[in-house]
Amino acid sequence: MFVLKNFLMRFPFQNATKESLVAFAMLLPSLIFLTAFTYWPILRSLYFSFHDVMLGSDKIFFLGWENYERVLTDSLFWKSFRNTAFYTLITIPLAIVCALLLAVALDTKIRGVALYRSAFFYPVMIPSVAAGMVWVFLYAPGYGPINGMMDALGLPKLEWLYSSEWALPAIMVMSIWKYSGYFMLILLAALQLVPRDLYEAAKLDGVSTWHQLVHITVPLISPTIYFVVIIGILHSYQIFDYVFVMTQGGPADSTNVLTLYIYQNAFQYQDIGFASTVANMLLVFIGILIALIAATLGRRVHYLGR
Amino acid sequence: MTSTKLPISRRHFLQVGAGAITAAGMLGTTPLFASGTDVVKLQFMYPVGVSGDINRIVTGMINNFNASHEKVQVEPIYAGSYDNTEQKVMTSLGVGETPATWLPINSALQTFLGMDALADVTAMAKADDIYQDFLPGFLSICESEEKLYGLPFQCSTPVLYYNKDLFAKAGINKAPDTWTELMETAKALTIRNGADVSQWGLTFGGGWHDWIFESFVRQNALVPWQKDKVMFDAPEAIDALEFWVKMVKEGVMPSASTWQGSANDFMAGRTAMLYHSTGSLANLRKSSPFEVGVAFMPKNKTYGATIGGGPILMAKNQPDAHLQASWTFARWMTNTQNQTHWCKETGYIAARKSSWEGEELKAFANEVPAAKVALDQAAYAGAFLQVPGYHKVREYLKSALDRTLAGEIDPTSALKDATKQSNREIERLMRRRA
Repeated sequence: MFVLKNFLMRFPFQNATKESLVAFAMLLPSLIFLTAFTYWPILRSLYFSFHDVMLGSDKIFFLGWENYERVLTDSLFWKSFRNTAFYTLITIPLAIVCALLLAVALDTKIRGVALYRSAFFYPVMIPSVAAGMVWVFLYAPGYGPINGMMDALGLPKLEWLYSSEWALPAIMVMSIWKYSGYFMLILLAALQLVPRDLYEAAKLDGVSTWHQLVHITVPLISPTIYFVVIIGILHSYQIFDYVFVMTQGGPADSTNVLTLYIYQNAFQYQDIGFASTVANMLLVFIGILIALIAATLGRRVHYLGR
Repeated sequence: MTSTKLPISRRHFLQVGAGAITAAGMLGTTPLFASGTDVVKLQFMYPVGVSGDINRIVTGMINNFNASHEKVQVEPIYAGSYDNTEQKVMTSLGVGETPATWLPINSALQTFLGMDALADVTAMAKADDIYQDFLPGFLSICESEEKLYGLPFQCSTPVLYYNKDLFAKAGINKAPDTWTELMETAKALTIRNGADVSQWGLTFGGGWHDWIFESFVRQNALVPWQKDKVMFDAPEAIDALEFWVKMVKEGVMPSASTWQGSANDFMAGRTAMLYHSTGSLANLRKSSPFEVGVAFMPKNKTYGATIGGGPILMAKNQPDAHLQASWTFARWMTNTQNQTHWCKETGYIAARKSSWEGEELKAFANEVPAAKVALDQAAYAGAFLQVPGYHKVREYLKSALDRTLAGEIDPTSALKDATKQSNREIERLMRRRA
């Protein structure tokens, strides 16, 4: 950058122009990638959604709003929409609460804390396909350890991934296990920045640990919590790998989610136009959801010292 | 879960796991044709569509083929389920790296024809004994407008499997032969403790229940599709779904199941009767700790069955020498001897008359009368849902069945909706083709 700046300095620009040129030069690399792999595909999928486009064929036919009309009357679309929303609404809050409790518990100077932190972070390091396969085994109705445990505790054994009632909750449990460690790490980093003297003062005033958590910790790391909520929602709306590995959307579409439905339409049914339409709907939903969260949760975020 | 279930399920788990890993490893595909040598190298993509050790059997056959053919070498590519396999082929068609031969479900024929992907092998078949020796019903699943596009390899129909021990315990000595008897038998075999069902009377293999459903519609004397439309909302079809709903409401049948899970349930004695593919016969017999009975699917107006399983199809876009080699391979996989062994080892129905006339299969049918049930039932069987856009149409139908059985919607509205959506999809594809 220094070289670039020197190079630009030799030209008799106004200072402001120079500055914006430097800025543009610095943005250029990421702009190229964003354009090629994000903005261009979005525009293309918008174009495709108004057309009949088939995978492996050059022929494209204009349809107008037909794809959108089909999406809105498609029961399977609404089912996968409901499944995705249910998954997000339950998984993300629970994972964040777990992560917060873990982070607070591991933000102390107990012996071997690094080991505990690694242990809880470990699920994040397992590739999701491998993790999915392992949980398929854990959930197996006949010989799976989870049903073994249920049996030992005197609870009824369940069909888990084979049951249309329990398959989605089963995947959600696994997701919480996988997300918590990741969120924990982010929250832990934020906790390190909370001034210790606040806790000392609270302790002198006889404030309980619970109240310290609610009135000191949570407000002071609220920007990070906010970040984790947004990241969590984006992650959970993209959930694909677990479902693909563990249930393929079944049984009876009880675990079909929007990304899988897009994939099925594009690659199993070769209907790129319809898949693009669903993808655009997903984009709109996420946009609305993020806007809602920004307008509610985002307003309550407390930025220390700003 | 009984302890008897343990080895079966574990083995299946390992098998599926290994399959998934193999499939994942294959995502970077190898080039299609070898160049500069006399040996023609072909790829063969195939699925495992039933419960059992099919992958090992297919690979074994291909090893034998390679050992006995110097000029042709076939690389077996296990690609997962039927859907996975078809999808892999379609994707490879899109990028021009199609395998030379593959094995889809017969219903995908129109889809591949729509993509102009299939070699017409009518002339080669006419120069051979294909038209004389294959059972006509099975050959017809590879035909469109009197042209032949493949050779039937793994032919199946759903059959009714029943647990003879549980039948004896309930004092029933014969398999049901009509829908009414089916309902009565299922009622007599269902065991519940309060709200919990410890033994179902009947389970349909989920995931392919649309295939089983078409059999029920055929038992009402209707084929619910033509080459350019479906009639899932015909009275015959609505009646069939109403019968299913009745069985679920009576509590003799679960409202949903999975393909593998239902087979496991049967082997573990958690369901007394099972509708599943004939291709699962060998495995169910081998792995069940009780005597397995096999019967025709009960009739209503008539007996009826849908042919599942698939033909070996050959790619159009390949040099003549490769097409010739593909034919040699397909021809070999379906020769009399191999169809006999394949039938004995899996339960898939041998597609050749000469296999059934041979001593080996005759002796086997005497020893295992169940093997012959499928063949006899095949006289009432026809191809499964051969319409353009089969994958999506199937999904519409399955979704209609699932929602109805889950009690979310009534049979008539569900099937009307599925018909409307399916026909719209078929129209779209026909319009593309025109």
